[in-house]
Amino acid sequence: MDGGMGAPPPEPVTYLCGDCGADNTLKPGDVIQCRECGYRILYKKRTRRIVQFEAR
Amino acid sequence: MVIGGRCDSGGGGLRVISGATIMASSQVSTRFGTFYSGRKEGELDCSSLHELTKPHVESYDYFVERGLEEAVRRLQPVELKHPVSGAALRLWVEKPNVSPPMKDLGSSALDQRLLPSECRLAGLTYRGIFTADICMQWNDGAVIRHNISYGKMPVMVKSSVCHLRGLDQQQMVAAKEEATEMGGYFICNGNERIIRLLIMPKRNYVVGVKRSSFRNRGPSYSDKGVMIRCVRPDQSAVTMRLYYMNYGSASLGFSVRRQEFLVPVGIVLKALIETNEFEIYEQLTTIQGELKDTKGAVGSQFVSQRAKIILEEVRQLALFTRFDCLQFLGNRFRPVMGLEDKQQQPATVGEQVLADHILCHLDNPRDKFNLLVFMLQKLFALVDGMAAPDNADALQNHEILLPGHLLTIVVKDRIQDWLLRVQGQLLKEMKEKPAGNDLLLKHVQKVFEKVPASDVSKKVEYLLNTGNLVSQSGLDFNQVGGFTLVAEKLNFLRYLSHFRSVHRGAFFATLRTTTVRKLLPESWGFMCPVHTPDGSPCGLLNHLTAACQISSDLDARGKKKDFFQIRKAVTKILVNFGVVPVLPKLSNLSPPEYLAVLLDGCVIGHVLTTIIPSVVEHLRRLKVVDGSEVPADMEIAYIPCTSAGSYPGLYLATTPSRLTRNVKQLSGDGSLELIGPLEQAYMEIKCPGGSESAGPKPTHDEINATAFLSVVASLTPWSDHNQSPRNMYQCQMGKQTMGFPAQALQCRADNKMYRIQTPQMPIAQTGAWNKYHMNQFPTGTNAIVAVLAYTGFDMEDAMILNKSSVERGLHYGQIYKSETIDLTESRQRGDGITNVFARSGALARFKEQPDKTANIVDTDGLPYVGQTLTEGDPYCSVLNKMTGAIKISKLKGSEAAIVDYVAAVSTGSKDPLQKVTIRTRHPRYPQIGDKFSSRHGQKGVCSQLWPDVDMPFSTVTGMRPDIIINPHAFPSRMTIGMLLESMAAKAGALDGRFVNATPFKKCSPEGGDGKDFAKTGGNDGSAEVFGKQMNAHGFNYHGTEVMYSGVLGTEFVCEIYLGVVYYQRLRHMVSDKYQVRSMGPVNPVTRQPVKGRKIGGGIRFGEMERDSLLAHGAAYLLHDRLHSCSDYHTANVCGFCGSLLSIVPLPTTRGTLGSLGLGLGKQAGGKKVCRVCSTSKGIETVAMPFVFRYLAAELAAMNIKLTMTLSQS
Repeated sequence: MDGGMGAPPPEPVTYLCGDCGADNTLKPGDVIQCRECGYRILYKKRTRRIVQFEAR
Repeated sequence: MVIGGRCDSGGGGLRVISGATIMASSQVSTRFGTFYSGRKEGELDCSSLHELTKPHVESYDYFVERGLEEAVRRLQPVELKHPVSGAALRLWVEKPNVSPPMKDLGSSALDQRLLPSECRLAGLTYRGIFTADICMQWNDGAVIRHNISYGKMPVMVKSSVCHLRGLDQQQMVAAKEEATEMGGYFICNGNERIIRLLIMPKRNYVVGVKRSSFRNRGPSYSDKGVMIRCVRPDQSAVTMRLYYMNYGSASLGFSVRRQEFLVPVGIVLKALIETNEFEIYEQLTTIQGELKDTKGAVGSQFVSQRAKIILEEVRQLALFTRFDCLQFLGNRFRPVMGLEDKQQQPATVGEQVLADHILCHLDNPRDKFNLLVFMLQKLFALVDGMAAPDNADALQNHEILLPGHLLTIVVKDRIQDWLLRVQGQLLKEMKEKPAGNDLLLKHVQKVFEKVPASDVSKKVEYLLNTGNLVSQSGLDFNQVGGFTLVAEKLNFLRYLSHFRSVHRGAFFATLRTTTVRKLLPESWGFMCPVHTPDGSPCGLLNHLTAACQISSDLDARGKKKDFFQIRKAVTKILVNFGVVPVLPKLSNLSPPEYLAVLLDGCVIGHVLTTIIPSVVEHLRRLKVVDGSEVPADMEIAYIPCTSAGSYPGLYLATTPSRLTRNVKQLSGDGSLELIGPLEQAYMEIKCPGGSESAGPKPTHDEINATAFLSVVASLTPWSDHNQSPRNMYQCQMGKQTMGFPAQALQCRADNKMYRIQTPQMPIAQTGAWNKYHMNQFPTGTNAIVAVLAYTGFDMEDAMILNKSSVERGLHYGQIYKSETIDLTESRQRGDGITNVFARSGALARFKEQPDKTANIVDTDGLPYVGQTLTEGDPYCSVLNKMTGAIKISKLKGSEAAIVDYVAAVSTGSKDPLQKVTIRTRHPRYPQIGDKFSSRHGQKGVCSQLWPDVDMPFSTVTGMRPDIIINPHAFPSRMTIGMLLESMAAKAGALDGRFVNATPFKKCSPEGGDGKDFAKTGGNDGSAEVFGKQMNAHGFNYHGTEVMYSGVLGTEFVCEIYLGVVYYQRLRHMVSDKYQVRSMGPVNPVTRQPVKGRKIGGGIRFGEMERDSLLAHGAAYLLHDRLHSCSDYHTANVCGFCGSLLSIVPLPTTRGTLGSLGLGLGKQAGGKKVCRVCSTSKGIETVAMPFVFRYLAAELAAMNIKLTMTLSQS
């Protein structure tokens, strides 16, 4: 109720490094940088949710 | 129906790993139709493409490698003397250097290079550190060097300081670039920007002009004058003018800090060299002719009188010697030169004026004197009508301002400005406390910190970002803006054209006369006559021809040209041939017997008129010899003696930034010679297929009949069969086509990008199509086109699309829109990070708000990649950590979009996520209202997507067309090329071969059959060939087919012209344009609907529309449009006093609030009272436009009463 028990900590999101392609799992507040090569542009991975296209 | 290859880099998935972008088939030669000679894993030969951006890249190389060096050498050094200690300090700059772009300090990346792709994606500027040595010298002591940074200089992609220089195509793709990347642009904040090529007056060339504005210079100024734009080796220019005075003298004008100064020419003549009046008189009067009707007798008997007047003018000022003149100049120009508080002698200042502002392209005063004499002679000939004025709008007298040259000039100006500010700061500190600042090293270094040197690069960046030039002196340009433009990658044609476009100058766009826009024959081979936009920039924005090159300061072997060596060598060759050199000075060498020889605006001698043709021939022979001392791109313009034509002479030019093109020499072994626009006008060049000239025998031969076309114009098939405006339209529409813009599409984040899903290569293609690798970036689809009037839905340039073809993917396209959300921009200085990307409720401190976003936005506040968004869907949420407020970005527009790509970009080494780029994909099916066009300027709008079953079908094959167009599109437009393409591509499709649609094929040496173009009237017999081909496959010879109506099932009376035409889908789509409203936002003052599609406004129903309804007597409709649907209002009017404004709600007796008039009494139907009449008896409700009431209020404000007379009709 009160004191840090409100929302569950948000689950980490996985990004791909723009240079080497390595997976990077970042929590909110993490520095945007590839852990493997230090590249500073990370792409978000395609969602695993079902994406249904309208088939008409 | 799909013919040709697909060129597709894959679906929406993200590819970032190297080698993922396709490398389409390669070929060693660009021989026609060799695309399918098997796919080889080799490299494409992109030299033809690189040639197109060469002027940009080469000039930037000049800027960093040689131009900066030259510029800082010519800077005015700062010289200071301390008032107390007497120490003298001299400051100057040396060794400028631009280094390749590197990542910011503190970056822990393995690869410290900053690559262009990263700049594009992260919205950075591609720039490298610009440093220079500042040299300090005290009292002629040892020089102390101090390396300082001038900030970060934008770097041109693929220039010599770019990381991409020298990479092969595999590595290029690995660096997330196009395999065919040509460079030539800058990346500023993620946008690709180009410095525009601008037309400039030809450097170091004397032009005679007649302008009425010259009369405004002062009394007795005539309208005639000569001008010369003198360009120093560091590319900075000073324009000098010589005006003819009505009393016979001439006045010399030059601008310093945008202010023109006028000096009698005699003073300058005398001040330049140690000479006497007799010599000047003799020099000036050499052109005096006896007989008026001799050809090229370019002086009249007035010349000697004028010479006397010029000398008399100087004598009247009591200036007798050179020293007198120099002193005179020095005293007058001391404040202008900024030498006020210095101890120079007046004569020294005078010498500096001559060196800096008078004919500054020459160093030697003797050369300046000779050129000034030449200018005076040309001026006199012009005044006497013995020589015609030159056309200042002709390409002959023009050159190009190259990007690197512009940067050199700007950077020189900025560094000079910085040096002056350092000087000012030092002077100020010395004055304030002479004891404190005694010009020691530590003091000077402190001043360097106070005057920011990084300003230099910042100004360049500003220039690139805005196109505006900030300078006190104006730098001899007559425009301050419009120097840069964005290189849109809408499709490859548009992208290419940006690099080849040449603008006449922003000033000329404001002129009301059309003379500057005229297409002149001089431009042949250099400027494309077809490729210019229609509308306001017509004729001002031209495009270089595909074959046109621009001369540089490098010779054919890539070494720097040594102009002194060239001058020596050329003079030696000429003297051997009988040219009389300028020294020792002999008089009486003048037209028509002798003509002056000028090399880069320097008189190097005089030559007997009769031997000039052989001299020219010899020079031309030497020009093409590899390794000769005559540069390969030297312009040898021999203007012969004519009666009242151009001023004769032999003008040689080796300068950079001239336009050149190759032609074949007919003499010798047929080598290719580079010629310029000035010499071209006086040469005999044979055009293949042209008629035999009656005049002199041709000396040169055109190489290619299509060489006069730009890249875009040369892609139009059979453009020689079309009416010329149609070809112009195609040049415009080709650049608006949705195509395949880039193979590195996945590695780009352009604001808006159009893409067509199933592009094809055209069956009928020109030679240029393969040469420029258009197959890598195709722009359309081969469609089966039937020409018939069917259902009436193809009237007035509308076209019917086969619905099933569309469903099979014909012209299916999409738009990519990128948006960058940068939270650092809203960050205040000193604040910590307050805004983060997060879903609401991410922070425990704040109560979870009812969360609509949860389903659509991910936990990191960003959308899920691959998700479909519909109107109003949130795709990004930003949380303020201090207040807990959530800011949500919602999708605008009614169409659905798919999240294509989300990139998180780092903004600092310690920052959490603060900047993201989100790219959405908007699918665009072809629909009614979308615009399509063939390659022949035949555009049309889709009017129906007709069901396949109801389309007409061919009796023999049963084939249904993809597109139906109306036959009325042809007779008035005369696009025979399109008819030909239809047949040819049909034959080609049947044969399984590509068809060569190169225009003027029969005139070019490779495709000609010896038939003369002029004799056959352009009928090259291709129709016959295609007819036979179609016959061989069992089709009609004329390309027609018997067809049945799809609706009625009956045979058409006529045979229908059915064939294959390459169709382009243009980017103008109805979903971006439609505008409807019934209700919506209104203007708060007038209560009329607002305008603007974006905010849901309406379209103005204007006066002319009103008139037409009025004329039809459609009163009810008119009332509906202008009143009911606009600002309909019912107002209360007092019938007694006729006032509209005096009606107020009746004060209610009950309650206090209502009586105060606080709005509570304003309920509808409440009692009203007229304040003036104090009664509510006469109040009537009248319908009127609200603006009328507003008008009454406005009039009342001006003390005008408006009364209405009410009556019952």
